[in-house]
Amino acid sequence: MASIDIQSIRKSFGAFPVLHGVDLTIQDGEFIVLVGPSGCGKSTLLRMIAGLERISGGDLLIGGQRMNDVPPAQRGIAMVFQSYALYPHMTVRQNMEFALQIARMPKAEIDKAVENAARILQLTPYLDRLPKALSGGQRQRVAIGRAIVRDPKVFLFDEPLSNLDAALRVATRIEIAQLKEAMPDRTMIYVTHDQVEAMTLASRIVVLARKGIAQVGTPLELYERPVDEFVAQFIGSPAMNLLAGEIIATGAETVVRLDGGGTARSAVPTQTSDMGRKVNIGVRPEDLLAVSGDGLFSGEVQIVEALGEVTQLYVARPGGGAHIIAKLPGIHPDLRHKTVTFGADPAKVHLFADGRSLLYR
Amino acid sequence: MTLAAHSHAAKPLRKRIADASEPYLYSAPALILIIGVMLVPLVLGISYAFRDIQLLNPFSGGFIGLDHFRALGQDQAFFRALRNTLWWTGASVFLQFIFGLILALLLDKPFAGRGLVQALVFLPWAVPSFLAGLNWAWLFNPVIGPLPHWLHALGLLDAPNNILSDPQLAMWGPIAANVWWGIPFFAITLLAALQAIPRDLYEAASIDGAGPVQRFLSITLPFLAPTIAITILLRTVWISNFADLIVVMTNGGPADRTQIVASYIFTQAFKRLDFGYASAIALVLLVLLLVYSLLIVLLRQTMLNKG
Repeated sequence: MASIDIQSIRKSFGAFPVLHGVDLTIQDGEFIVLVGPSGCGKSTLLRMIAGLERISGGDLLIGGQRMNDVPPAQRGIAMVFQSYALYPHMTVRQNMEFALQIARMPKAEIDKAVENAARILQLTPYLDRLPKALSGGQRQRVAIGRAIVRDPKVFLFDEPLSNLDAALRVATRIEIAQLKEAMPDRTMIYVTHDQVEAMTLASRIVVLARKGIAQVGTPLELYERPVDEFVAQFIGSPAMNLLAGEIIATGAETVVRLDGGGTARSAVPTQTSDMGRKVNIGVRPEDLLAVSGDGLFSGEVQIVEALGEVTQLYVARPGGGAHIIAKLPGIHPDLRHKTVTFGADPAKVHLFADGRSLLYR
Repeated sequence: MTLAAHSHAAKPLRKRIADASEPYLYSAPALILIIGVMLVPLVLGISYAFRDIQLLNPFSGGFIGLDHFRALGQDQAFFRALRNTLWWTGASVFLQFIFGLILALLLDKPFAGRGLVQALVFLPWAVPSFLAGLNWAWLFNPVIGPLPHWLHALGLLDAPNNILSDPQLAMWGPIAANVWWGIPFFAITLLAALQAIPRDLYEAASIDGAGPVQRFLSITLPFLAPTIAITILLRTVWISNFADLIVVMTNGGPADRTQIVASYIFTQAFKRLDFGYASAIALVLLVLLLVYSLLIVLLRQTMLNKG
């Protein structure tokens, strides 16, 4: 049993509060990814689970046992650090053996565990090398190997791929996904600021904001049904566009008159009492379509970023303000400085009142 | 034609000379300074070792070959000084290192007022060595200093006597002063090395289940090893040459019990004014220290190659 119960955990550094009461239940075998802006406390939360930070308030239960004051080594966890944290004067083998030797495991078992981990991670030829003779990706695999040999119930990853270059990051990400597949009953908690890692690896994503957890859900839940403007803009890249307006028709389909002039239809249902309410509509850049005739808004395309598979357009916002970003499939070299009208499928138009999504109430 | 050919040939020649001498001209000022300040006195000092130079004897100054070294081979005072040097250097370096390491480990942990304590701790290093020697000599003096009375109260001394006048204990006086004076050096250098150790290594080790002792042995010590090797080498050479405290506190006495080679050289040169014999002793000390340094450097090299 390696379920993790986080019960109104708080953390402050001195008088400065970082986490104000986080509640989260993680099931056996889940792959949880913690995301959030820098300074939101996602690494702190991970380090509290690891036992590297004191818990200022609340309870941490791993497998039903209270772990607040249990030393890190006895929590049944293993951690992979962003900086790898390999012991530089020990060989790959010694790095992986270290914890097992401290636990006084018999030599034969240690060798078996190390060789098994080395085989999984393709590190066998490097077992007698020092970390300084390895590439960044190999070092990170050693760090993962050091976690595997201990056979922990919970793996903790603290931005493990941030120090790798782009190609290696993709390769190592896939290795981590395969590792999880090979160990379906192990719980993994993974901190990252990388959207792609979060979306591809997680069984559930936890979005942390400055005040605590903003939303917990599967990657697609967060993408399709964000609970508020923060999550809506945090998940997805480029971020969701928000346009201010006022509800002019309610019912199963809501109609919003936008301050910039156009009207928007949204599949989010509203009640008669919502009539005249000030709202923001949210449309993801990839959901905006160039239309002829009526649309959400019209604007001059000021910057064109051709990425090949898609073209990102930075469109002047009616009435001024930050650009509205649209992502059109294919190549559109001729749109620069043109005025284009954009529309969107009502099913893809989100509604937010006072920052909260009208889907949830 | 011939004139043109001549000027053609002359120019490259002058330029060739200029080009060839260029590096020497650039390095000349530094080289002349080094030769003037270091090599000339060294050669002069070495030459004294083979000459009979006594300041008060106007007929001295002649070349005497290896006579000084033959005399040195018979000189029991020299061998006693050599043994005392080993004792003085070994005990001082060891205690300075141990206390310096403990101090560095304590100062590495954050606590309120750490900056102030760090500044205070490094104060002894700023005290001139002969003032430190005088102060410690007074501290050991039972008439004005508290130390003999404290040592007596603790049962370490039979009576509150001055240990500096006790042939068995006298060496501990300068050693105590030297340890007090030299701890900051080790503390500073080891603290700098400690603070360069990545914190997440300790975190990884604590997750791996390593206790404080294992963390110290598996992470701290390997990281400190190069610094420890180089600081111990430096301090050994300095301390074995460091006669100030001994000259000020005991002047080599009682009965030559605290005479080290460096203070023996000082006595020969500036008390007996026998510069030739003093130079011969200094040459022997130089060779011994060179051999020692070479051994340490070789040891460090093999350690680094292994690592």
